[in-house]
Amino acid sequence: MSKKNDKDFWKYREARKVTKTDRFIYLVLVIAGFLSILRFGDWWFRAEHVESLPFFILLSLLIWYGIIRMILIWINYLRIKKPEFVAAEKGLKVAIFTTSSPGEPLSMFDKTLKACANITYPHTTYLLDDTQKPEFKKVAEKHGAVWLELVGLPGAKAGKVNAALKMVEEDFILIMDPDHIPFPNFLDKVLGYFRDKKVGFVQVAQTYYNQYRSFTAKGAAEQTYTFYGPTLMGLAGYDSAVAIGANCTFRKEALESIGGHGIGLAEDLITSIRLHAKGWKSVFTPIVVSRGLVPEDFGSFCKQQLKWSRGLFEVLFTEVPQLFKNLSGWQRISYLAISSYYFVGLTTFLYIAIPFLYFWTGIIPANMNFGEFIINGAPIIVIAVSIYLFVQKWLSHPQAERGFHWRGMILKTATWPVFLLGNLLGFVNAEIPYIPTAKKAVSGLSPYSRPLILHVVLFIGTLAYVIYSRLSTVSEGLLALTSEQVWGMFAFAFVSVFLVIGGIFAALESRNLPEDEPWRKVDLDKIKTENDHQ
Amino acid sequence: MKKSAYRIGFTLGALFLGVLIIVAFTFLGKKSSGPLEDFFTKMGSTIVDIENDYLLSQREPVRSKELEWFNKYRNNKESFLQPDTVFLGIFDNNYQKSFENILSLENSLLTNLSFIQIYTAWGDQSGQRFPEKYAKTIFKLGSTPFITWEPWLNDFDREEHGLSPKEDPNKNGLQDIVNGDYDFYIDEWASDLKDFNQLVFIRFGHEMNDPYRYPWGPQNNKPEDFIAAWQYIVNRFGELGVNNAVWVWSPHPAYYLYGEYYPGDEYVDWVGVGALNYGNVALWSQWWSFEEIFGNYYNWLASFNKPLAITEFGSLSVGGQREEWYTEALDSIPEKYPLLKAILFFNNDKDNTTLSKTLDWSLNTDSLSSKAVKKSLNSW
Repeated sequence: MSKKNDKDFWKYREARKVTKTDRFIYLVLVIAGFLSILRFGDWWFRAEHVESLPFFILLSLLIWYGIIRMILIWINYLRIKKPEFVAAEKGLKVAIFTTSSPGEPLSMFDKTLKACANITYPHTTYLLDDTQKPEFKKVAEKHGAVWLELVGLPGAKAGKVNAALKMVEEDFILIMDPDHIPFPNFLDKVLGYFRDKKVGFVQVAQTYYNQYRSFTAKGAAEQTYTFYGPTLMGLAGYDSAVAIGANCTFRKEALESIGGHGIGLAEDLITSIRLHAKGWKSVFTPIVVSRGLVPEDFGSFCKQQLKWSRGLFEVLFTEVPQLFKNLSGWQRISYLAISSYYFVGLTTFLYIAIPFLYFWTGIIPANMNFGEFIINGAPIIVIAVSIYLFVQKWLSHPQAERGFHWRGMILKTATWPVFLLGNLLGFVNAEIPYIPTAKKAVSGLSPYSRPLILHVVLFIGTLAYVIYSRLSTVSEGLLALTSEQVWGMFAFAFVSVFLVIGGIFAALESRNLPEDEPWRKVDLDKIKTENDHQ
Repeated sequence: MKKSAYRIGFTLGALFLGVLIIVAFTFLGKKSSGPLEDFFTKMGSTIVDIENDYLLSQREPVRSKELEWFNKYRNNKESFLQPDTVFLGIFDNNYQKSFENILSLENSLLTNLSFIQIYTAWGDQSGQRFPEKYAKTIFKLGSTPFITWEPWLNDFDREEHGLSPKEDPNKNGLQDIVNGDYDFYIDEWASDLKDFNQLVFIRFGHEMNDPYRYPWGPQNNKPEDFIAAWQYIVNRFGELGVNNAVWVWSPHPAYYLYGEYYPGDEYVDWVGVGALNYGNVALWSQWWSFEEIFGNYYNWLASFNKPLAITEFGSLSVGGQREEWYTEALDSIPEKYPLLKAILFFNNDKDNTTLSKTLDWSLNTDSLSSKAVKKSLNSW
């Protein structure tokens, strides 16, 4: 296989099997990780480290919240599982739903509907349309899809799906995001799992083909790689695989049992948790059978993240408490963990605030020797990175997805204002309008970059102020003693500033992003599905 | 059955290897704790140096300028060994956070204090190494560091240093020092001191003749052990090429047997004693005048023919007139005690080392006493 082929997006792929050796090596890493956390904890919780008790408690909560989330992920990987392929029964009645909304480009549907028509397992494709444009009807008919005009329904995608559910006869529904191009073997790969009558839905990996377009697109894609590989495989091992993002295939009976597809900003996860609560089983199979679009410009990425962060809060505050008693143990933990993911906005904000608090008020939360912190923390970091890299062998396309995902990290840090806004909206239960994820790049410097610029300006201003005061107003009796602390804090503050500057770069780059319609370049005839199990 | 045996074996095997990795880490950590810690400590002091060289050098110094007269002493060991003036100094318990307390007291006393004292114990922790950060700060402020170096031997991880287990490491601890058990610590401390490269007063094992106070006292050691340990350390510093230490031998004068603890003229540069009046704060104490706690012993102390220091000078206010105590003491010094060459104020506002309650020795908040001190000092 040539190198070029390794990175070819238009080729069926699947994650590798989990061997006993893999599990053994992984278990060793986890045990070492736990011991290093114990060692760190033994060092962390010491009275001599407390400088200001409330702030020490706050800092401890921050650090240990992060560590506990990491432990959960580690436990999750312990059961990492790849399901055995099951061939599809013949003669199932299958529908594919894809939705169109005003403003979405017609040419994209031309491609998606054509790709749906190419899917080999017999099925009917439905276009759920509220554009009120005749061209959409035409394009549906051109590719043999049934055109359903569904206008004025609540909840955008889910509302139309529910209306259509009542109109169709089929027993299985694949809900296809319109920006995703399915491979011909899509249904062959997933329908077999429905032989088990308890399986309510089958989720596949979500992958992309427009990463090359920009820094933002690369970073946004990087943020999803581990989730649609090892993370969901682990959840599957605990019978907790969630329906999330695009391209989930549902048993219609299952959807009907919960009164239809969930509605809300996180409609997939709402549907997923309700199905699990009703006792339906789920399957995650780590295969690449479609590729879609990831936001290309910083603004669209932020909009998407705002929508998700607000939506997940709804799940956390509404769905999880109601359904908690009906979920299995690990389902409870995983829905709690997933729906609280965007607390990262709050925690990042607090991490950023700590050094500024010190510079402006002199409050320092912990009295720790920086060197000791590194010496005690380093084993955890080494093992955490080892685990992160080790589980990458189960990415669905390791050749293209493997790495440290530093762009993803930059974007994650640089979107702290967005997450924080999502957090706040969630706390006060305020609405944000439904914003469809932009399918095409939007030009201009995103307003989401303004808080980042403010962050950098504050940093530079504070630096100037500190230098000035150390040259003139700070007492001589304090200068030398505080030198290490002051510059150590600046180093700490600079880490986030550096990442945020990366975010500003992404926003600047987005400004000059030429308009493009990436789907036009996709040649459906070149999609390879050869290592089929049929 | 077979399945569960397999699972147990699997888990135990993984557990074993996981523990192994951590042991390796810890071992690595311990073996390299010197270099690693060294690295971070050096990094810290490099930051201080860089800031000094590139930023703070732009700033006009105030205190060190006022103390310029002191440079001829602090840069010349000989002048410290035969001082021609009386130096003032201070210990302030807030020093780890800030020296501002000292600076503000100096403002009210209208004088600058040449010595700044700190106390540091032996042990493995980073705070028990040579206090480079504070020594540098003190020097930069124009003063000379005066370090009371306390050989607590219970703060070492004996196993790590290849020492056999000992129920009470302080028992006969001074002999262990002479046997070389603590060379790893002494050598590191000495070489840090050498790197510091400025004169430092070192008061090792003070009040070694008080059987009730410190573990290096007579309850654990014989007088000849103390002398041997002192000589061992001074010699070792010499062998390592450390020339910037001024050794202060500091007995407790109230326990008369101190002559037998004297390590010898070649090993001692100064003699120091404490002079603290506790007033009637405790059952065992009463209001003693300076004459009673220092003057009565002066002739004994003078017989060593070394410069004398009062390493802790102060009075509480319970049971007498504090400001008068200071006036009487300071006014008597110039004529009555010609060998007394240094007085270090004990400015501890939270002393809980002696009693269960906290004692306040500081002058900062007692304007009557600080005025009295200022008046006496200005009359010298």
